[in-house]
Amino acid sequence: MHIMEGFLPSPWWQIWFIVSLPFIVIGLYQLNKLVREKREALPLLAVAGAFVFVLSSLKLPSFNGSCSHPTGTGLGGILFGPCIAAVLGLIVLVFQAVFLAHGGITTLGANVFSMGIAGPLVAYLIYKAGTRAGANTYATVFLAAALADLTTYVVTSVQLALAFPGSVGFFGAFTAFAAIFAVTQVPLAIIEGAIIALVFKYIVQLKPEILTRLNLLSESTVQRLREAAA
Amino acid sequence: MHNILEEFARTNRLREVSPALKLFIGLASILVSVSSPGPVAPLLVAAAMSAAVLVLAKIPARFYARLLLIPASFAVMSIAVILFITGGGAVLVEVPGLPLAITADGANLALLLLARVFGGMCSLYFIALTTPTTEIFEILRRLRVPTVLIDLAMLTYRFIFILIEEAGQIYRSQVMRLGYSRFRESVQSFGMLAGALFIRTWESGEALVLAMDARCYDGKLGIPGKTRPLSLSALAAALLYIGAIFGISLSTGGLVLL
Repeated sequence: MHIMEGFLPSPWWQIWFIVSLPFIVIGLYQLNKLVREKREALPLLAVAGAFVFVLSSLKLPSFNGSCSHPTGTGLGGILFGPCIAAVLGLIVLVFQAVFLAHGGITTLGANVFSMGIAGPLVAYLIYKAGTRAGANTYATVFLAAALADLTTYVVTSVQLALAFPGSVGFFGAFTAFAAIFAVTQVPLAIIEGAIIALVFKYIVQLKPEILTRLNLLSESTVQRLREAAA
Repeated sequence: MHNILEEFARTNRLREVSPALKLFIGLASILVSVSSPGPVAPLLVAAAMSAAVLVLAKIPARFYARLLLIPASFAVMSIAVILFITGGGAVLVEVPGLPLAITADGANLALLLLARVFGGMCSLYFIALTTPTTEIFEILRRLRVPTVLIDLAMLTYRFIFILIEEAGQIYRSQVMRLGYSRFRESVQSFGMLAGALFIRTWESGEALVLAMDARCYDGKLGIPGKTRPLSLSALAAALLYIGAIFGISLSTGGLVLL
């Protein structure tokens, strides 16, 4: 859910830049540390960023014929944690603004907050909670990705309602924005959840060492999942 | 689409103009558009930027028109909401049977937003169509943006083109095997595409690590920069343009059309 260039008036676009800034700074700090410890991290993060960009520029299958794109935010959050996902999100969003005209430069702060910070944070927390509780891995991934998508859409509605409360006040405006975006976003979130879960399934079947190296799944879980699929 | 945009950025007639100047003009136009209190200045920005893209940079008009249609759906949906929830002023249109009405204030706000979005989009496309991304990285480096961020962005940028190609190949072969004939199949195929793409991506990332190590990668990518001289007349014209749109934005602040 990108907010387009020119849509957010002052002071809201500046406010969202300020809100997003600390996450980006922490993310850059973590990134610097990671790159110094493991040099191979930088190229791998770069391909992950490119993957998120390409995924989000493909058109998803949808029921209602609307043009819907996956956000890929959930996957980034699960794989790298919320702060590094915020830096990746920043880069991807700048490229999306410049190549695809999704989003924009002044609305970058707001978009980074909804898609690079809020979404990945939710995905990360759900994934961590799910694995700790020993829930089914695919169900956890589905929930994490779907709710990350829903979170970005709710946050975007909040951002728009704060900027344009109209004469109905913040809550009225929020309901109006949330209701009209729900038409495309709720099915989208469910489809994206299913697709990210399928992606996880393929990775477990074909190249599980990616997941074990990122400490996302333990060797024993991978073993169990592969046996269940066989 | 991305390849075409970048190809125009490399071959257009404004290619030799200093990238810093083009970036400055684009960003200043965006700022004037977004902060203008009336719709006149953003529309002028849109006209000026479109003229620069079509006449000076010689981008084909049909291609440019198609680009401008891309962001239309979000704009229409959100502006429709704003149109209905903003009250005040005379009631212009009432929806029969529903407590919905379009008022003068709502229409004015919607018009202003449409103008701002349009001005902003045209300025963004001005940057995207005239300035190759590699030159923007060079400017960021001179602005002391952290190197790790620039390196990550550059590598990401490079891989986007490789991956789009691969995704297209996988997609076409899936379509030929009727992978998207029904809804269930589409979801299954799309998941397969994304999964295969992710694994291939990761493998090419690992190959890149090896290739970079073999060339003595020490945590920094050294890219020789090329500077393009800034001509004084171009700078003067740019300042004149920005001064003019800024002045118009201030002087037409109170203007409302309805």
